[in-house]
Amino acid sequence: MPDAVKAKNGARRRSGRAEEQATRLSPDVDLVVDAGAVELRKSRTAGEPDGSLKALLREELAALDADRRNEISAELGASPLVGEHPSLPLSGSLYEIREVLRERLPACAVDARQPVGLAIEQILAIDERSFWVSGWMHDEDGEGAVTLVSPEGVRVEVTKGALRFERPDVVQFYATLRGTTRNHGFTAFFELPAPSLLTDGWIAELQTSEGVAVEIRCPAVVVDPLAIRATILGELGNRGPVGGELAAEHGRHALTRLQERIVADSEVESVDLYGELPSEPVASIVIPLYKRLDFIEHQFLQFSTDPDFAGVELVYVLDSVEQKDELAAKARELFALYGLPFKVVNLTAGAGFAGANRHGIEASTAPQLLLLNSDVIPDRPGWLTAMREFYEGQEGIGALGPKLLYEDDSLQHAGLYFHRAPGAELWENAHCFKGLHRAFPAANVARPVPAVTAACMLIDRERYEEAGGLPLHYVQGDYEDSELCLRLSKAGYENWYLPQVELYHLEGQSYVADTRRIPSEYNMWLHSEIWGRRIEELMAEFDPFEEGDPIE
Amino acid sequence: MSDLRVLYVAHNHPTLHPGGAEAYSLELYEAMRRQPGVEPVLLARIGSNVARRRVAHPGTPFGSVNDDPNQYFVFTETDHFDFFTLTSRDKSLYSRHLTDFLLAQRPDVVHLQHTHFIGVDLLSQIRRVLPDAAIVYTLHEFLPICNHHGQMVRTFADELCPEASPRRCNECFPEISPQSFFLRERFVKGHFASVDRFLAPSAQLMDKYLRWGIGPQRIEVEEYGRLMPDRRAGDPAQAKSPANIGFFGQLSHFKGAEVMMEAMAMVDPGVDAHLWLNGANLELQTEEFQEEFARLQEGLRGRVTFRGPYEHAELPKLMEDLHWALIPSIWWENSPLVIQEAFFHRRPIICSDIGGMAEKVRDGVDGLHFRGGDPVSLARTIERATTNPRLWRSLREGIEDPYPMDAHVSKLLGLYEETIEQRKGVAVSA
Repeated sequence: MPDAVKAKNGARRRSGRAEEQATRLSPDVDLVVDAGAVELRKSRTAGEPDGSLKALLREELAALDADRRNEISAELGASPLVGEHPSLPLSGSLYEIREVLRERLPACAVDARQPVGLAIEQILAIDERSFWVSGWMHDEDGEGAVTLVSPEGVRVEVTKGALRFERPDVVQFYATLRGTTRNHGFTAFFELPAPSLLTDGWIAELQTSEGVAVEIRCPAVVVDPLAIRATILGELGNRGPVGGELAAEHGRHALTRLQERIVADSEVESVDLYGELPSEPVASIVIPLYKRLDFIEHQFLQFSTDPDFAGVELVYVLDSVEQKDELAAKARELFALYGLPFKVVNLTAGAGFAGANRHGIEASTAPQLLLLNSDVIPDRPGWLTAMREFYEGQEGIGALGPKLLYEDDSLQHAGLYFHRAPGAELWENAHCFKGLHRAFPAANVARPVPAVTAACMLIDRERYEEAGGLPLHYVQGDYEDSELCLRLSKAGYENWYLPQVELYHLEGQSYVADTRRIPSEYNMWLHSEIWGRRIEELMAEFDPFEEGDPIE
Repeated sequence: MSDLRVLYVAHNHPTLHPGGAEAYSLELYEAMRRQPGVEPVLLARIGSNVARRRVAHPGTPFGSVNDDPNQYFVFTETDHFDFFTLTSRDKSLYSRHLTDFLLAQRPDVVHLQHTHFIGVDLLSQIRRVLPDAAIVYTLHEFLPICNHHGQMVRTFADELCPEASPRRCNECFPEISPQSFFLRERFVKGHFASVDRFLAPSAQLMDKYLRWGIGPQRIEVEEYGRLMPDRRAGDPAQAKSPANIGFFGQLSHFKGAEVMMEAMAMVDPGVDAHLWLNGANLELQTEEFQEEFARLQEGLRGRVTFRGPYEHAELPKLMEDLHWALIPSIWWENSPLVIQEAFFHRRPIICSDIGGMAEKVRDGVDGLHFRGGDPVSLARTIERATTNPRLWRSLREGIEDPYPMDAHVSKLLGLYEETIEQRKGVAVSA
């Protein structure tokens, strides 16, 4: 039993009117019973629960029939007040109510000779109101309904709308019984009308079409967002193509919420200032840092000898929060050496690439934003002014990306486009002329492109905000920049590639590992799902191999 | 008129892997670069068997070689290459990456020096992506025909093989069915169908491809053109006899390494003959071969000197002390570049009487033939050669200069133009 429930004691109070009875459930919420009608009400006085709840329930409600009692518990758990004043004591009290009112069903024992079986393997808390459940059920015709009951009493029939699939292990387990279904497995994303805060106390009920009803206790809810993300991605990978029905009906909703929660859990802990930043900077350069801090020194050397940086607000955002002290030490040393002013944004938790950029942008002030990766090193000074001048001279420009090079002077970025293999459904991001030499003539033409990389992207702050910024819904993303560009393009802006400006992008190879396969496939699917139409229109107009008049 | 864009595809880059075909590919590219109106691009394969680590960038197999914007590496995983069917198991190499490269470069001519480690699929993909481009393919050995390292030597008893067939190939590789050899041949020929013109550096090589089924209208002999060094090697010091014989190249079984060592052991002790080995890649040979070679070398301390690997530029210096060059290969060879190099430096050649060697070295005119694979015949030939200064001088007189690169380049440019014109005809009639 949850601690919050055990903590209650004290006596029941009579409220003002004779028929109406009330008891305190949490510091903010009372339970009111009036002639069989039950509701939650905002407390009018201060006070703590006094232990009178059980007696009240027994006296007033025990006589009602089972269905009505379940209904009351569910209505209370779903009450808007629970959403307005969520608290562990309130959830504890609701749990206590559920336990008194709920009609218990026979416990389901999983047995190869029994015609009915039920297992909930995991419940994942995406956030306080949305969950992910996986399990399996066995009955004669596969038509049975599984209902989850939250600790707070809310009932959700999860088999309705769930993805059903074959579980070879379960088929094998029940091999001696005749059954018409092989699709024992189910997975579903579901939402509750009000928050559920308790990790213990979920019940699952199975009601077969033949009228048999059983229940089981569910395992504790998993709350760690990174573990949840890995589990959901794993399930997407195990149920056919990553972008299949599970992703479309369930995975996308769950992962989008989860990404939002991960970013929401990350707040700015502190902003450290080194030196004096310009009071009215012309541009803010925002650089997220993740793990590799050794590039900073190389950036500083180049930045410090570039006169453009007099008007720049340089903002680093540390996304790998465990390196806070290491970065602070490095920052002090490098500031003492180069005298280049900058600020460091420290976060309470990792926010991912898009999230870290968001924090950095919020902590910056200039009217123009230059998003930059930490592994991008300028080839020569003057690049920022060249980009800004081009940007200002180009009517209706959205995002601007320069030429980026690998260490062997071959092209890493000369604009992005979208590629779809013949016969394939999904679009993937592709780089124009990737791997060709920096002097390749067709890559030395400034031109509008479908998208540019966020590894180095200049954009007007207002336009960035108008487009809603870098999206958060990609998992360890690769498509944030292209979605931002697609949003800009949808709003009528044009994204441009500028070859006159050259920087090196020492794009890492380490992450190409197999562990990235499922997230990449999921991201690619999501990106195509949202933007497929728009991409088709853009690609009908764009020739990635077009030869123009190269710059001199 | 815009420049003629010629894409050269090679299976290696000479900076990574020294070898005859590699050296020639780069020389040809550089000679073309000096031609007005021609813009050559060189695409050389790189992979884990020649580079120390994976060098490709994420998302692309292409990368630069050096400051030259027209030289590229294409990285292919050695493990992805199917050495039997001569194709990459990773088909996106063709459908995606090489397609993008072709679309970006838009060559008028693709001249392949090799498709090894890249795969014959490239040929038909070039045709699909660039219907008007002329496709020219220089054949350097017999890999398309023969699964035995492309040597056309039977796997048993080193017997020379005149012709491949599913049955005969199955005799060489009993574990591979005739059906598999049939499919291999169909696959390679299917992709070869996209080639407009094959070039064979020797007539004997062309003959074998003709017999294999390449139509005579699609293949012709064109010798390698060579850029020769600034100076010829000086004459060897005047001694009593022309005793010094040089071997250049890989020390391997097919190159006749054992034959020449056994022959040296048989040379009459009274004859003053010395063999200088300028060889590489001994460490790449099988352990058995290395042991055998060491054993043979053991008894020949006074007769044979191992000088180790050499750079191409050192050749004039290395030739300086030598009277003869020796080519004892037990396989057909194509047109060994060392013949041209030795002739440029006015060294007569002692060689096997088979294949490209017999074709390019005239017995009694600019060199001496011995019975290929026969150490006794070689020993007798060495004795005759090293004891006869007059013979040596007369063979020297018989040597003609090798085929110059300039002539080769003009020949190729004519051929490219002609093929492009032919393709226009094809496009019109189709």
